[in-house]
Amino acid sequence: MMTKKLITGLVLLTLAAAGVLQAQQEVLLKISEGMPMVSVALPPFIVRAASPEAQAAAQEILQALSDDIKYSRIFQLLPKEYYGYIRPLNPDNIFFKDWDSIQAKLLVTGELSADDSGRTVFSGKLYDVKSERFIVGKRYQTEKSGLRLIAHKMADELMKLYGEKPVFSTRVAFVSNRDGNDEIYMMDYDGANQARITFNKVKDYMPAWSPDQRTIAFTSYKRGNADLYLRNIYEGKETLIASKGTNYAAAFSPDGKKLAFCSTMSEDGNAEIYVLDLETMKVKRLTYNSAIDTAPSWSPTGREIAFTSDRTGQGAPQVYIMDAEGSNVRKASFGGNYFDSPAWSPTGDRIAYVSRVENIFDLYVLNLRTNQTTKLTESNARNETPSWSPDGRHIVFTSNMSGSVQIYTIDYDGTNLRRLTDRGENKLANWTN
Amino acid sequence: MKRFLIYSLAIILVFSLAVSCKKKPKEVPPPPPQAQEQPKVEKVEQPVVKEPSLSEEEIFLQRSLEQINKDKPLANIYFDYDRALIRDDARPVLETNASWLTRFKTIKVLIEGHCDERGTEEYNMALGEKRAKAAMDYLASLGVPSSRLRIISYGKSQPIEPGHNESAWQKNRRDQFLVIEK
Repeated sequence: MMTKKLITGLVLLTLAAAGVLQAQQEVLLKISEGMPMVSVALPPFIVRAASPEAQAAAQEILQALSDDIKYSRIFQLLPKEYYGYIRPLNPDNIFFKDWDSIQAKLLVTGELSADDSGRTVFSGKLYDVKSERFIVGKRYQTEKSGLRLIAHKMADELMKLYGEKPVFSTRVAFVSNRDGNDEIYMMDYDGANQARITFNKVKDYMPAWSPDQRTIAFTSYKRGNADLYLRNIYEGKETLIASKGTNYAAAFSPDGKKLAFCSTMSEDGNAEIYVLDLETMKVKRLTYNSAIDTAPSWSPTGREIAFTSDRTGQGAPQVYIMDAEGSNVRKASFGGNYFDSPAWSPTGDRIAYVSRVENIFDLYVLNLRTNQTTKLTESNARNETPSWSPDGRHIVFTSNMSGSVQIYTIDYDGTNLRRLTDRGENKLANWTN
Repeated sequence: MKRFLIYSLAIILVFSLAVSCKKKPKEVPPPPPQAQEQPKVEKVEQPVVKEPSLSEEEIFLQRSLEQINKDKPLANIYFDYDRALIRDDARPVLETNASWLTRFKTIKVLIEGHCDERGTEEYNMALGEKRAKAAMDYLASLGVPSSRLRIISYGKSQPIEPGHNESAWQKNRRDQFLVIEK
């Protein structure tokens, strides 16, 4: 059962009036606590082509968009039966009162046709029902392989209405050994379109997305050492950025200008945290402790970094927070003797991490405002390396609960557990941090 | 008269000497016939142009790196859970490894640090490194120059035993020694 409660962000409900015709700057509503989910009407798309392929394409986009809306935790789809109570949609002359009568708050319409070269052309529009206003319209042209992306982009338009960052068109990077050795892959947030990114015969490990998801930082053993690389996946360009000692656990700062990572490059060969300025390519050391310091994760303000350290006891790592310059270190985890893998939520108010008790690892979420900790997984297994969705409502993580190591997503409140992978062993998923 | 005598004596002396030098070997009657003796074999040494034989070390080093590593000349050492300390049972293994490395002076080694699956990814990368470093430091203290040793950590990403029990975990908490240069 979907709960009607929403837990996110803050304050005001502002409504900025949009232009009448081609509204680009649209209505901006904000989610606030206690607000019920926004009901969205998504009637079948109009297909302006006779072919069965066009019908199938329309159905695929509709299904993917419905799934996105259901996943969002912000919007809920109007039950299909409701459309039967009113007259069918005429996209050229919309009877908003009809839609209002079945309690739709937003109306999504779509039209599909094919261009001369056989590519799908999809035109999607968003309306605010109550005010009978056109909000935004987008037109996409694609091959068959891009149909799901159209749906995801439409869903992200809905998210944008509420000031949220894109979620559905973002991808999860991860490590898989399905082709023999550990290599880096990526997939849609729902596990679709799994594609390989690195092609070495050695090992490529621990990917981390840049905020624009155009670059990944990762560790590669291809030169016989754990070296840190950057790879722009659209241009194919790869840069070696750290090769002394062992370099891993990279994390981009929220503004994309810095890269924090763990390295044993220092004289004593001890694991410390460093920050690379991506403009000057200068490296600055942040931790000066003979303990293991690793797994940095930036706060969304870029002013603080959460990390793991066993400075209170060897073999007993804990989660700490420090300023982005390395000062003001304080312990953030309590009540256990093995914590690792902090992931700071993009909403800024929570940190997810892993706690090991005996041989069981579970994910926990620490609320920085209330100092309360919530246990997220309860599966008598090893659940680790959490990473948040861009809107902070979902977490992707690794688990062996099925018997093999696979990637799952779960919502911020521990519900909606979904498995995303099944070929080979899959782990170290990265969504935003 | 005196001089005549002296001269005669001298001549007689010289003559008798000359005669004695010219003495023919006495005719020795041939020995009575006896059983044929085997001819004594006398070793005749002749210089031979031959390839100098290789020392055992040199024979060994003629093999490829792959062949050398297949024989696993350097044994693994194992660690306690969540620890990177060199255990008592690891010391003799490291001593043996050190003496092998002292014997084959040109060999360079990569020490790989590994962990079992029961740690988290990030912490285990660091722990694996500590394990490799502990072995490197110990070998250096036994006289192996650190210029011949390199370390690498694989965290828990490369288990050698796939099981999920203490026996498998112990086998995975290891340092491995790979010959990377000869």
